[in-house]
Amino acid sequence: MPRTGVFICHCGTNIAGTVDIEKAVEASRNFPGVVHAADYRYLCSEMGQDLIKKAIVDNQLDRVVVGTCSPRMHEGTFRKAAAEAGLNPYLLEVANIREHCSWVHKDIEEATPKAISLLRAAAAKAVLNESLDAPELEVEKRALVIGGGIAGIQAAIDIAEAGYEVDVVEREPSIGGRMAQLEKTFPTLDCSACILTPKMVEAAQHPNVNLITYSEVEEVKGFVGQFDVKIRQKARSVDPVKCTGCGICYEKCPSKASSEFEMGLSKRKAIYIPFPQAVPNVPVIDRDACLYFTKGRCQICEKECPPQAIVYDQEDEIFERRYGTIIVATGFDQMNPSQYGEYGYGQHPDILTGLEFERLFNASGPTGGKVVRLSDGKPPEKVVFIQCVGSRDKARGMNYCSKICCMYTAKQAILLKEKVPDAKSYVFYIDVRTAGKGYEEFQRRAAEEYDVAYLRGQVGKIFPDGDHLVVHGVDSLSGKIIEIKADMVVLAAASIARADSPELGRIVGINSDSYHFFNEAHPKLKPVETHTAGVFIAGACQAPKDIPDTVAQASAAAVKAVGLLSKEFLKGEACTAEVNQAECSGCLYCEAVCPYSAISPVEIEERYQGGTLKRTVAEVNPALCQGCGSCTVICRSGSINLKGFSNEQILAEVDAICLQR
Amino acid sequence: MAERNLEQLEKIREVVSQDLLSGRIELLLGWEKGHYWWQSRPLFARSKDDLAKLTWDSFCAVNLSRYLLEELKDHQKVGVLVKGCDSRAFNRLLQDNMVERDRVVLYGLPCPGILDYKLLAAEAGPELKGIAEENGKIVLKTASGEVEVKRDQFLMAKCRECLYPDPVVYDQMLLEPQGKKEAPERFKAVDELETLTPEERFAYWEKELSRCLRCYACRQACPYCSCRECFVEQENPRWQGRAYQPSENFLFHLVRAYHGAGRCIDCGECQRACPVDIPLQELNRKLIKDINELYGDYEAGLDAELEPPLLTYRPDDPAAFSEK
Repeated sequence: MPRTGVFICHCGTNIAGTVDIEKAVEASRNFPGVVHAADYRYLCSEMGQDLIKKAIVDNQLDRVVVGTCSPRMHEGTFRKAAAEAGLNPYLLEVANIREHCSWVHKDIEEATPKAISLLRAAAAKAVLNESLDAPELEVEKRALVIGGGIAGIQAAIDIAEAGYEVDVVEREPSIGGRMAQLEKTFPTLDCSACILTPKMVEAAQHPNVNLITYSEVEEVKGFVGQFDVKIRQKARSVDPVKCTGCGICYEKCPSKASSEFEMGLSKRKAIYIPFPQAVPNVPVIDRDACLYFTKGRCQICEKECPPQAIVYDQEDEIFERRYGTIIVATGFDQMNPSQYGEYGYGQHPDILTGLEFERLFNASGPTGGKVVRLSDGKPPEKVVFIQCVGSRDKARGMNYCSKICCMYTAKQAILLKEKVPDAKSYVFYIDVRTAGKGYEEFQRRAAEEYDVAYLRGQVGKIFPDGDHLVVHGVDSLSGKIIEIKADMVVLAAASIARADSPELGRIVGINSDSYHFFNEAHPKLKPVETHTAGVFIAGACQAPKDIPDTVAQASAAAVKAVGLLSKEFLKGEACTAEVNQAECSGCLYCEAVCPYSAISPVEIEERYQGGTLKRTVAEVNPALCQGCGSCTVICRSGSINLKGFSNEQILAEVDAICLQR
Repeated sequence: MAERNLEQLEKIREVVSQDLLSGRIELLLGWEKGHYWWQSRPLFARSKDDLAKLTWDSFCAVNLSRYLLEELKDHQKVGVLVKGCDSRAFNRLLQDNMVERDRVVLYGLPCPGILDYKLLAAEAGPELKGIAEENGKIVLKTASGEVEVKRDQFLMAKCRECLYPDPVVYDQMLLEPQGKKEAPERFKAVDELETLTPEERFAYWEKELSRCLRCYACRQACPYCSCRECFVEQENPRWQGRAYQPSENFLFHLVRAYHGAGRCIDCGECQRACPVDIPLQELNRKLIKDINELYGDYEAGLDAELEPPLLTYRPDDPAAFSEK
């Protein structure tokens, strides 16, 4: 009979407040196989771990049950402690009496027997625990960054600088992302392009960085250390090796389409680069707009291209590469505020979103850097900014604060004053939120030095009146109704997750919150990790954030990625599935449901009536198996078992709970 | 006697005896008459002499595909006579990797439906000596004379709601196909059970399942039960208690039914084989209905290439548990 030791943690009052520890210890002494039981205030502390180690040695324990928090929290800690005392770490079992018991109950009279039940189940399982060894897995020394905005660029440069190869997959023809669309950045008013472009070039020129633009990730298979990723490189219709970036093609191209980069405020050519500083500086042909592709004639770009780089019959290319780690940095979108009928967005050319307004400041933007009304080309005298359009709106929009709007509105109001000195800005806000280094000072400057009127209150209606837009609002501080005859209205539309982020999450195997922002593994302690080992997140795909936070997070994700890549081997999963081949009927349903392609058919020979019979059964590759257990539940005959969570162990737990007297 | 059509039988015999003699097949799985005139039991024909016993009448209920599991161990190539349900059973086995397609020759026999002796005897009384068939009519022969009745009313329960009387997979179709049938009342019993309260439903099944002898005839007849060792017989862990009590009967039948989720071809062999008439098809049809409602219409066994819904993942699959 095994010699089991039970150790119960008070977790301060987290457990002890709702579970009678003394009773639980006493009850544990009577479980089958238990020869030692003890408790401690904080078992995860060094003292607590020493207590376990000492008891293992003193009592010759060969099984350990800890009644503590969730195994997600400290299973690793206690397994390590057990290993240090000479025990195979998988002989230790965690009874989660905190999240599963003390935290969800109030009554000590009810919670105590439940905790005892959970401990009894764990002790019953521990008896059947076996020593397990985790396989060592190789690490592909290359990282994949999905998204080539500032987060992706920063992460890629950091990984490359640490000496590892990194591929950046960007959907658009150029890297740069949202930051490339910005004119200036708060709170220092650096020109966005001036600080971003060098980074883009650094990434492009770094020998360890490989930019894969105009491409998308189609499939991710495998696991930490060995992700096999299928990437679709969309047909650019331009040979990037031959192309010199001279720009004659898009100068001569007669066909136009709405510019995505300019938020649809101006046109680009059918063959185009999204913006002048594009990296790589290689145009792409928009086949939906190109006359040759739509009508079969034109071909001007081909005739005019000096190095003859135009390739009309180029096709999408799909290739597969292996990566040790993945960073997802796919950024955000701006909400289309047309659902807010009172603001009239989409019905008048002078009602813009923040990002659209931003483009008016840019020298290469739709107005050539002149801040003018799109309706008549005149500079605006009065501009009304409306905050929280779609943010902090439980009823019609997003519950969260988009975080960047207060600051960029202050920035735009300052920039406006500099471009159009006669202009007057009004900002309707709920609260002005300026947490961040230098942010409050910046916003105060807008209000005090740039004559920006901050009006606490909401706008009820905007309607055109002659040349003007009449804005009806309430100043909730004075209670007065305000009417402003504005020339322009700028809506701080909510930052939202990319529309296709759930799809990407599914491909990469990470989950998202109810707003479709990707989830971090722990909101405080694992802010760039995900629940999928080896996949990290950075930037606004996790939640709305500004550039400093994005860059910090990108570097954090890069450090995590580099830490992983620098390992010689990774410890694989010890709790893998194994097939009882004598019992396996070979239906291979397990192969069909295995998400890791870890199961394959194998032919075995069996004795049959004096001779042998060949038949096919399932086999698990333990290096690929991640221990998810899908195969064990699809197997009708129970011929496939998960080590550490075998059918016998689970049933022993059920019996221990249900059959107790 | 109940020979439906001697002409048909001769045609079948001619084809299969040729194949048996030429060595195309080593064994033919067919039917022969049993002890009683109303029984047709499996025939394992290895020679022309064996084929003399071949029969094809209205009592060839036994699903022959199931016998392939054993026979393919001893024979390289086996021929099987398949009705609609037998052919779907073959697809079941094929999809479960239990048989190799190129080691089996399937002879398709469109099926007019199997007659239920119990119904015939109830109509004619215990003196029933035999029947004759003609144009959808049955002549019941008794000592006191002959009675003509409509054939449809004496079909086995499993045949009354059959959708596919024609074989869906075959190498050679031996008789004229008759097309898909309508089965408007296929889910009637399930629909009615669904209207009951959980307590009423439990009482219903408790009563039905209390008769179960745990003889496992249902499992033995079933084409979806192809495990080498059934969970009920496993010792470690012991899933199924040996005790004869309602909870163990429930466990057996519910687990078995779940093992058939998305796999049951609704051939009704379980119910036919049951010596105590437990309406097992109702359990299976409940799962068929649920799967159809959750994942779209799916008929197991119709097409072995079609991926079963429970083995495929689509992002838009319903998350029934979390949505409720």
